[in-house]
Amino acid sequence: MRRRHRALISVALLLGCVGGFALLTSLSVGTEGPLAAGLARVGTGVGGIEHRLRERFVGPGRAAELRWFDRYRRDAALLRAPDSVLLGAYDSDLPQSLEGVASLERTLGVSLPIVQAYTAWGDRADEQFPLALASAIWDFGSIPLLTWEPWLTDFDNGRHPELPLREARERHGLASIARGDYDFYVDEWARQAAQFGKPIFVRFGHEMNDPYRYPWGPQNNTKEEFIAAWRHVVDRFRALHATNVVWVWSPHVAYQYWDLYYPGDTYVDWVATGVLNFGPIAQWSKWWTFTEIFGSKYQRLASFKKPVMIAEFGSLAVGGDRANWYEDALAALPAKYPAVRSVVFFHSASDQTLTYQKVDWRLVTDTAAARAVAAAINPWAPGPRLKQ
Amino acid sequence: MRDRMVIAVLVGFGILAVFRLLDWWFRQDHVAHPLLFGALSIAVWYGISRIVLGWVNYVHISRPEHRDAPQGLRVAIFTTSSPGEPLAMFEKTLAACRRVRYPHTTYLLDDTRDPAFRDVAERNGAVWLELVGLPGAKAGKINAALAQTREDFILVLDPDHVPFPEFLDRVLGHFDDERLGFVQVSQAYYNQPRSFAARGAAEQTYGFYGPVQMGLCGLGGSVAIGANCTFRRAALESIGGHGIGLAEDLVTSIRLHGAGWKSTYVPEVLSRGLIPEDLGSFYRQQIKWARGVYEVAFAELPHVFRGLSWRQRLSYLTIGTFYLFGVTTLLYLVFPYLYLWTGLQPASMRFDEFLANATPVGAAGAALYFFCQRWLCDPRTERGTHWRGLVLKIACWPVFFGGTALAIARANVPYIPTAKEAKRGRFLRLAWPQLTLIAIYAVTVAHVLRVRLFVTSEGALELSSQAVWGMVAFATLPVLLSFGVLYAAWEARRVPAGAAWDSIDVDRLGGDT
Repeated sequence: MRRRHRALISVALLLGCVGGFALLTSLSVGTEGPLAAGLARVGTGVGGIEHRLRERFVGPGRAAELRWFDRYRRDAALLRAPDSVLLGAYDSDLPQSLEGVASLERTLGVSLPIVQAYTAWGDRADEQFPLALASAIWDFGSIPLLTWEPWLTDFDNGRHPELPLREARERHGLASIARGDYDFYVDEWARQAAQFGKPIFVRFGHEMNDPYRYPWGPQNNTKEEFIAAWRHVVDRFRALHATNVVWVWSPHVAYQYWDLYYPGDTYVDWVATGVLNFGPIAQWSKWWTFTEIFGSKYQRLASFKKPVMIAEFGSLAVGGDRANWYEDALAALPAKYPAVRSVVFFHSASDQTLTYQKVDWRLVTDTAAARAVAAAINPWAPGPRLKQ
Repeated sequence: MRDRMVIAVLVGFGILAVFRLLDWWFRQDHVAHPLLFGALSIAVWYGISRIVLGWVNYVHISRPEHRDAPQGLRVAIFTTSSPGEPLAMFEKTLAACRRVRYPHTTYLLDDTRDPAFRDVAERNGAVWLELVGLPGAKAGKINAALAQTREDFILVLDPDHVPFPEFLDRVLGHFDDERLGFVQVSQAYYNQPRSFAARGAAEQTYGFYGPVQMGLCGLGGSVAIGANCTFRRAALESIGGHGIGLAEDLVTSIRLHGAGWKSTYVPEVLSRGLIPEDLGSFYRQQIKWARGVYEVAFAELPHVFRGLSWRQRLSYLTIGTFYLFGVTTLLYLVFPYLYLWTGLQPASMRFDEFLANATPVGAAGAALYFFCQRWLCDPRTERGTHWRGLVLKIACWPVFFGGTALAIARANVPYIPTAKEAKRGRFLRLAWPQLTLIAIYAVTVAHVLRVRLFVTSEGALELSSQAVWGMVAFATLPVLLSFGVLYAAWEARRVPAGAAWDSIDVDRLGGDT
């Protein structure tokens, strides 16, 4: 009798352990453990509750101002072929606060329905799908545009013994992604994105044709490898039902042959590029007009028959008339460049692209330029005007 | 043997976990504010180092084997009476002393100037010694009595402790070692069921008189604390008599060790006494001990430090710094409020990483705590989570803090014998620190809600809610514990009916009473 009890208890314990482990594993998020993932979910939940409380007691927030944008937020098809120019911004207060975006909006007098954030690949907690940030951007009334950078060296060999050593990963790293070596990460990110459920723009591996900037550039990879990696990633997302992701392909059009990196019509939803006028501050730059940077490439960009996004848009102040630069770029933009369907301001207070100095792209600190922008976009920017 | 293996494995695991936590804790990117980070680190690592010292102690647990008492030793029992102590209690204690089997003489060291005390002593076959106007409360009388008596071994018994008949038989055998200076036995109580405060206070002592003292014993330094210590006269005389001060027993213990005397510990319940029944008495006892322990650490330890073995030094340093707990608890309490009101925070750590790194340490600590409960003196009644003891310990932080402050200010605290009878306490007088904390908490939560709803801009709200509400959760924990103290303070408004010793039947003492 006692022996039987013992056996029963042992079996029950064993089953309990297996069940417990299964539960814990199901709570975990890929490279994040159940603890971190559970806490992140609780934290995001608390944030959502607080947001709703605020709406209840203080009145409708920014999302109410963006009600006109709801038909885009609800309709992924419309988002892939929008009927107006959607404005947006990246602001360097992110990911701590969206207040910088709000302050830029007030300065310009229009809502910015797209909010861009940069997020890297890797093992660290801040390199997983940014659930809290995406939820906050959504509750704020916008759609997140996540620029997703495949830094392969942030994966730890201790946790991923099958990966090559760090220093060997970047050479043909994109081929490695295409082979599925990083599916443990890609799949989890895709699952989380699918779970998030609302539309998000993902700009993966941007400026893939710039040989000086990022490790996923042509110094380490061929264009065929980039295309294979892109297609593999998109296929993984589709297989995991992350169809809420809108794919933004974003080469650097200053370099030749950028169009050869195009992954194909069925794999791309938007075509994008950056338009940043560094002026004479950078050794490799001079004061370039919008037409010089973008206008000359527009025809080719538009030829893919996809909506075009200017994903990083801005001018520094040194070397020319900044207000004039913006006015020239934005006035009559829809008429001159009808394929352009989104302009995302690059609103960084201390950009470190130039290693020898930090530069400030902000408009809120430059009244003349901000006024020029507001005047130039006023005739065509969608949505109601905000009190300035 | 098997038990020691288990302890060794658990301690090994725990120490690895501590190193893991250490490696994670002191990362440069965790420092949010250098000064505050230093303060937080001191609080956390003070606590952890005490836990680790406790583990080291557990590794050395040893239960000394019983030795039969030889016949013909000359033994005295000293017990003291002071003005204001209840006569009825002496009735029981002296009657029980008479029933102690090993031949001995009981002395009542009396300064009450009350003939009734002489009467009760003589009726119970005890020798009455009138010792009036001596310095140092209990210890002064003991030293005077030493001069008037000749016995070779002296059991110093607190008057509230009724000894069991077998007391001396269980103790005296150990003195066949010529270098043994004293034998300490466990302390247990008969009045702990009478109130929450008494239960909590008793729970705090279980571990100390069980595994902790046994570990100290294995380390060669079981400490004389409180009543029930049996001394060799030669040992006491070699250090000029019983020590005087707020922590007389600890002073005596440390001097004897410093003079090279050995000690041992008998982990048996051989008497039962009184523990403070009401929160006020408990606080008074604790502040006296806190002050006394610091006195030992500051004034006594440096003089004898060289005479102690390193293990004894470690033991006494551990005891001497126990009451710093009051300071570190204050720090823990303040940090969340500092953040919620000013935005200052000591560390920028991810909470999940903290949990992942701290949980193994906590798990090892809990496992050892529960495993070592097999060495409690009376495991049948003493096992458990001892949550009341924990509530009281945390409640006591203002008292511990006060003790620390008094020690630094070198202020005098009068010697008060531990209360023998519960005293009615006013609720507010006892509960004001907790009530203040709860009020501050309520105001802070209201402030946070107001700021979050009406001041914080929408763009900053959602992305900061994890940090803010995490801190609020951190501030909530001590508030929840405070309610246990409020209960104890509420309970102190009324005193249990009847004296605690009324229920004692001196003819049925012993074994498992």
